[in-house]
Amino acid sequence: MSEQFPLETILANFGRERDNLIPLLQEVQERFHYLSPEAVQAVADHLELSENDVYGVATFYAQFRFVPPGLHHIKVCEGTACHVRGSDRILDAISRSTGLKPGQTSDDGAFSLERVACFGSCALAPVVVVDDKVYGRMTAAKTNKLIEDKK
Amino acid sequence: MGSISLTIDGQQVEVEEGATVLQAARKADIVIPTICDHKDLNPYGACRMCIVEIAGVRGFPTSCTTPAAPGMQVVTQSARLTELRNRTLELMFSGHPNSCLVCIHREACEQYRPKVTKAARSTRCGFCANRDECDLRTMALSAGKNELSLPTLYASYNLERDDPFMDRDYNLCVLCGKCWRICEKIHGKPAISIINRGKWARIGTAFDKSHVFSGCTFCGGCIDICPTGTLTDRFARWQGKPEADTPSACILCSEGCSVVAQSKGGQLLAYTMTGFNKEAGLCALGRFGAAQIAASNQRLIRPLVREGEDLIPFDWQGAIAAAAEGLKDCAGGVVLVISAATSREDRFLYVQLAEQLQGRMLLLPAEAGEDDPQVQALAAAVQGGTIRAVIANGNLLPVEMMAKVPFSLIIDCLHSPASSGASVVLPAAVLSESGGTFRTATGAIKQLAVSSQAPGDALPEWRIVCDLAQALGLTGFDFERVEAVTPLVADDPAPAPVSGDPRQNVRDLIPRFRGHLLADVVSALAAFGLPTTPAETSEETTGVGFPILEKREIAPNMHFFKVKAEKVAQFSLPGQFVILMAKETSERSPFTLVDWDAAEGTISLVIEEVGRSSRELASLKAGDRIAHVSGPLGLPLTIENKGTVLLGGGCYGIGAIFPLARALRQAGNRVICAIEASSAYLLYMQKELATACDQLIIATKDGSEGVRGGIQEVLAQVAAQEPVDQFIAVGCTFMMRMVTEISRTLNIPTLVALNPIMVDGTGMCGACRVSVGDKTRFACIDGPIFDGHGVDWDELASRRSAYAREEVQALSQSVDLNALMHQPHAQSHGGGCGCGR
Repeated sequence: MSEQFPLETILANFGRERDNLIPLLQEVQERFHYLSPEAVQAVADHLELSENDVYGVATFYAQFRFVPPGLHHIKVCEGTACHVRGSDRILDAISRSTGLKPGQTSDDGAFSLERVACFGSCALAPVVVVDDKVYGRMTAAKTNKLIEDKK
Repeated sequence: MGSISLTIDGQQVEVEEGATVLQAARKADIVIPTICDHKDLNPYGACRMCIVEIAGVRGFPTSCTTPAAPGMQVVTQSARLTELRNRTLELMFSGHPNSCLVCIHREACEQYRPKVTKAARSTRCGFCANRDECDLRTMALSAGKNELSLPTLYASYNLERDDPFMDRDYNLCVLCGKCWRICEKIHGKPAISIINRGKWARIGTAFDKSHVFSGCTFCGGCIDICPTGTLTDRFARWQGKPEADTPSACILCSEGCSVVAQSKGGQLLAYTMTGFNKEAGLCALGRFGAAQIAASNQRLIRPLVREGEDLIPFDWQGAIAAAAEGLKDCAGGVVLVISAATSREDRFLYVQLAEQLQGRMLLLPAEAGEDDPQVQALAAAVQGGTIRAVIANGNLLPVEMMAKVPFSLIIDCLHSPASSGASVVLPAAVLSESGGTFRTATGAIKQLAVSSQAPGDALPEWRIVCDLAQALGLTGFDFERVEAVTPLVADDPAPAPVSGDPRQNVRDLIPRFRGHLLADVVSALAAFGLPTTPAETSEETTGVGFPILEKREIAPNMHFFKVKAEKVAQFSLPGQFVILMAKETSERSPFTLVDWDAAEGTISLVIEEVGRSSRELASLKAGDRIAHVSGPLGLPLTIENKGTVLLGGGCYGIGAIFPLARALRQAGNRVICAIEASSAYLLYMQKELATACDQLIIATKDGSEGVRGGIQEVLAQVAAQEPVDQFIAVGCTFMMRMVTEISRTLNIPTLVALNPIMVDGTGMCGACRVSVGDKTRFACIDGPIFDGHGVDWDELASRRSAYAREEVQALSQSVDLNALMHQPHAQSHGGGCGCGR
């Protein structure tokens, strides 16, 4: 899972058929955590597609990111249960304390913020996930403390 | 392949197997409405307009994607289909500005303003370059709909003009996909694609790169196929619908591509492809550059003859006589330097001229300049003193060399150092202005058709050479038509092919035309890295001018400015205006003061982006400086207590009535402000106005907010409820004219703030002359506020449009190269991707 993992190695594992586009983009994001302009170009070249088409496909899906995530990646669930239990206020609180809008990464690379549709942990609503650790029954205050601890 | 038979609207139709229902219907001359369908594209089924009913088939299949089958029973017109198509159209219009279609004043407005008004973003049909050729508009009008029940959700994308030749306004896009599909068809890998999803889906490039770096070859296919005003050629955008399509060929390089010359009113608008396929592809230079070369303000338009230091304009007779006189005793010592970017006939006649003068002719490749080896060799020969005259048809000779030759004749289309140094200059017609034939690098001979008029006195070169030769007493030049020369041209060799492939790569474009650096003539070409003549270094202007403290686009095309201008702020009064110059070299343009603060030393303005000067201003940011602010100018409004005053403002007038409202209310009047806009999203300053007046009434043409209609309707409504002692209207000429007619019938004293073309603003130039009540007045010093019932509106409208053509052409000449992207990935993401960069 290193940033240094060569893109070519990933590409080499996939044939040049255009059906491979989405699996390939997923693999690149898995390794690099986001899709850089260079990666999109490399994928396009590998599949003999236009980079604009590749970008068009990638932007269609919510799963792909185009900016590098921060050291701590914060995901706020906006699914029905979490929404009903006030996830908007949590998102607002995070935005205020980090200055980030969903989809952004802080300038110092410490945090990134993402809005997610549902984690399937509705019993714990509202849910915040930081670095793949799930925090249930969150409040704005608890989330702020969590972020302060990570700073 | 066999044929099949089906029934469409009760009519028996035979088609080839594999044809679609739509194709079958067309074969039988049955019209089915379509938007995303195109004969050169595969069926797409996106627009849903071509739905039909087929017996035994559930629902309403799209005829463009349904293969015709034997025995099929198809119905293309029914009440249900009409209803569904109208709903589809309505949904499309919910994302496409449509207020003009539902406006109750549309017919009067279109009669008063037969041409569309230029604008930055097109916020309605009247401000859309595509109005006269819009498929959507035609469908909506033919559907007889004057009620659209869905509101317009204006997407508010920025106008994209970060590349050399295109203006892209995705607020008009209905996602028919024709642009990227034709791009894929012509180029294989499209330079554009549909990006994002759902409501935010739009046409774009990877990471919002400039098209210069997205693989775009600038063939213009997407522009030519776009059914809306989304994709436009910046040069041709406001010139109107082409009147003629003339097949011809481009002579800018030895490829000699076949083109269709689109022209209007004797002017070339564009060279377009002969078909939507790879073989017919054009390069950026041919597609966009040719028309701009022909329309260049550097064109030679009069014969010029040197008298001492000066080149004096002459008539043709005098200039030909002067040229003949200069060449008279030069036989044996004449050299002709001719660019290959000429017709075969012109070249043939140049060769004849050279032979009969016992001289030599050097034929230079189309892209050659004065550094060409043949020219260098000639320069060396000139040193020897044996050459007594040179003739060139371009900027092909070094000035120093020309100075050493007793007589030099330039026959060319553009001003250049060579023409400035010549003894005689004869203006030539070029490209679509001159006929003949052209031999391409592959040896093919192509016809050149005349489709536009040469500017001024310019004549085709064959005509000039014949006249000159006859004046010299030479024989064999008595041609009246270029076609008479054609049969005599034989065995001319094919020119060398261009290096690289300019049709596939903009970086392979040739740098010169007749020795002129193309990026000097068509400045936008510099974005591709084409060389330009280095500009003379201008004086450092940092730190001078008037700082912009605040600048926001408060509504589409409406820019709010707060500018530091102490002296102006100190003396400003309601109704006055200022004249601004964005840069030292800008045109002067007047803008009404919206607010001022003498203590703070600031003035506020609302500037509507329309043409070149307002675009220059709109492109400034907070922190930048405006080169000049002169004012306050004009007579202020006399502020008295009249009783009830109704102020009507539209467009920029919404901001302009603010200081009037405030002052009139302070003087004890009951002030009612009425503001109008086409649609609710074009309104601005409602809060500020509400605090400055007793009552604010909003009117929108599409009824999306407030009263449906305009100031006329509000005036009538208010007058029916209470006496109005004074009415003041500020806005476009059409609005002011319409409201004065109403106020006259209601006997309400009416003032209007006129907006004629203005230059100095101090009563000297007379450009702002208006007729009010049989008196000639200058809007700058006698106005701008006049009695609305005395204004000669026809004269005002005609004087305002006096420079319409120049204004339109100036838009493509004002390319700010700093705004163009030179490095990939170095630009911001424009906000579309939400990444914050």
